[in-house]
Amino acid sequence: MIEAVDLSKRYGAKTAVDGISFTVKPGGVTGFLGPNGAGKSTTMRMIVGLDNPSGGDVRVNGKHYAQHSAPLREVGALLDAKAVHTKRSAYNHLRAMAATHGIPNSRVREVIEMTGLGPVAKKRVGGFSLGMGQRLGIACALLGDPHTVILDEPVNGLDPEGVQWVRHLAKGLAAEGRTVFLSSHLMSEMALTADHLIVIGRGRIIADAPISEILDGHGQSRTRVRTDNPAELVRELAADGVSSQQLEPELLEITGADSRRIAEAALAGRILVYELTPLQASLEDAYMQLTTDEVEYHSHTLPQSPAGTGAEEGS
Amino acid sequence: MAHTATAPNSEHTAARRGAASGSGVNFLRVLKSEWIKVTTIPSTVIMLTSTVVIMVGLAALFAWQTTVLLDLQSNPQMAAQVQGAPDATSLVATIPGSGLVFGQLLIGSLAVVLIASEWGTGMIRSTMVAVPKRIPALLAKQLVFALIAFVLGAGSAFAGYFVAQPILAPSELAFGLDTDGVLLHIINTGSVLALVAVLAMSIGTLLRNTAGGVVTTIGLLFVVPILVATLLAGIADWIPDAARFLPSSAGEQMVAITIADDALTQGQGALVLAGWALVLLVVSLVVTRKRDV
Repeated sequence: MIEAVDLSKRYGAKTAVDGISFTVKPGGVTGFLGPNGAGKSTTMRMIVGLDNPSGGDVRVNGKHYAQHSAPLREVGALLDAKAVHTKRSAYNHLRAMAATHGIPNSRVREVIEMTGLGPVAKKRVGGFSLGMGQRLGIACALLGDPHTVILDEPVNGLDPEGVQWVRHLAKGLAAEGRTVFLSSHLMSEMALTADHLIVIGRGRIIADAPISEILDGHGQSRTRVRTDNPAELVRELAADGVSSQQLEPELLEITGADSRRIAEAALAGRILVYELTPLQASLEDAYMQLTTDEVEYHSHTLPQSPAGTGAEEGS
Repeated sequence: MAHTATAPNSEHTAARRGAASGSGVNFLRVLKSEWIKVTTIPSTVIMLTSTVVIMVGLAALFAWQTTVLLDLQSNPQMAAQVQGAPDATSLVATIPGSGLVFGQLLIGSLAVVLIASEWGTGMIRSTMVAVPKRIPALLAKQLVFALIAFVLGAGSAFAGYFVAQPILAPSELAFGLDTDGVLLHIINTGSVLALVAVLAMSIGTLLRNTAGGVVTTIGLLFVVPILVATLLAGIADWIPDAARFLPSSAGEQMVAITIADDALTQGQGALVLAGWALVLLVVSLVVTRKRDV
């Protein structure tokens, strides 16, 4: 359980986190979603006491992080993949961390096995790939078998197998009744992993709701239509709020009209339709809609592609 | 792997939580953690080993040099050449710790590196997440390295004593451990290094930067005294007087065998150097507690 109340962080004149309040409950995966620079990492650093809040308060399992007598057993955090001395081996790093809490070396070996670090455990961390660094960070987070797990961009740099592993791990931890708080700017990943979403932009919370609600509320439903005569069908459908995009000569994607209305329009115009597929609103659409005004670092050309084929970077 | 990953975890969760209760952070555990950290960076171990080798080697070198000096001084024809040099017999007792200046340079730099590299690599975030009260982590690191510095300094001086004896013996300069002040000289060679370690690590903690920390430490220990002695001494009468309270001068007095009339005694020197180390340590702890990591 993580509870933030009116939490703020200012660095000089810049406000990184601007009075946010939220609760992360146990038993589910809560996604923390936002573009780069939105304040995700700063918030997570404040949760584990690395940064002192400029205002407000954040508690984990009822106490400030630093007040816990065994913090690693309460909260496991992956904050920065490379929060490790580059000249030390992964095994020795974990051993040094474990020693602070009297965690036995058997547990160190266990998390090494769990995270698949076995073959490289005795090698210098400096030579690790980004993905191996992430696995070590996750191993460190799991060391104390904590009630609450905080993972900042855990899939960064992981290969597809690793991404799937993190997804299973997060869901598995949540299923055991733990609190799992996961940040990402990859909406597609969140859609697959999280049960609940907290969306942040420019230090403010934009949305805090179950993932299904965010999809229903913000993504417009689209329908894929294959027809002999797309131009005619679009003319039949012409109305307020209906827009269409021609993807292929005989393939349309229609927004703003459900499949029944499209079928009616086709019938009325005696147009042959040979595919009518409702598409679920993607989290990406919802996210882009939520955060367009909140993006800190705009890229000059935002991808125009339809959802799900590119536009994965929040910037 | 994906599916088996969490399974063993859930089976043992209940049992482990039960056994885990009450097994949190305490200072002894943080000390052990810092000990593991110091001993698992190969370059640190190599640097500590070289410090011992060099300090013992310098003791041997100075012993040999002293015998040469004695030869010259006892030869009436050559004595003129070494006029002004102190009597060789008065030098011998400080031979065990003759590598101290070099030792300070290495230990001081290494102390800065140990803490500043934690900021440089990001390791400090792991450290402070494990020990979020912060001060125990810093104190443990200071204590572990100060102990290493003491053992290394006193050990090197002790070894230096034994290495020097066979070199001095032919010139009949060999001396016993019970000679006045020799044992204190050997022990204080370790004490100076321990205090310099604390002073330097505190500077490293404050600056959070290896290069800046090393330059500042070496500046304070070795450059400031030279500036004071050469450039500033003429400006005002009190300056050479105040220079006695610089950390390097205080350290020199700690290992001195004979004390000049207006100089600090070994004990006074220890108090002055310890004062420097303590003030910097306290400032570094207070600042680290308040600042973001």
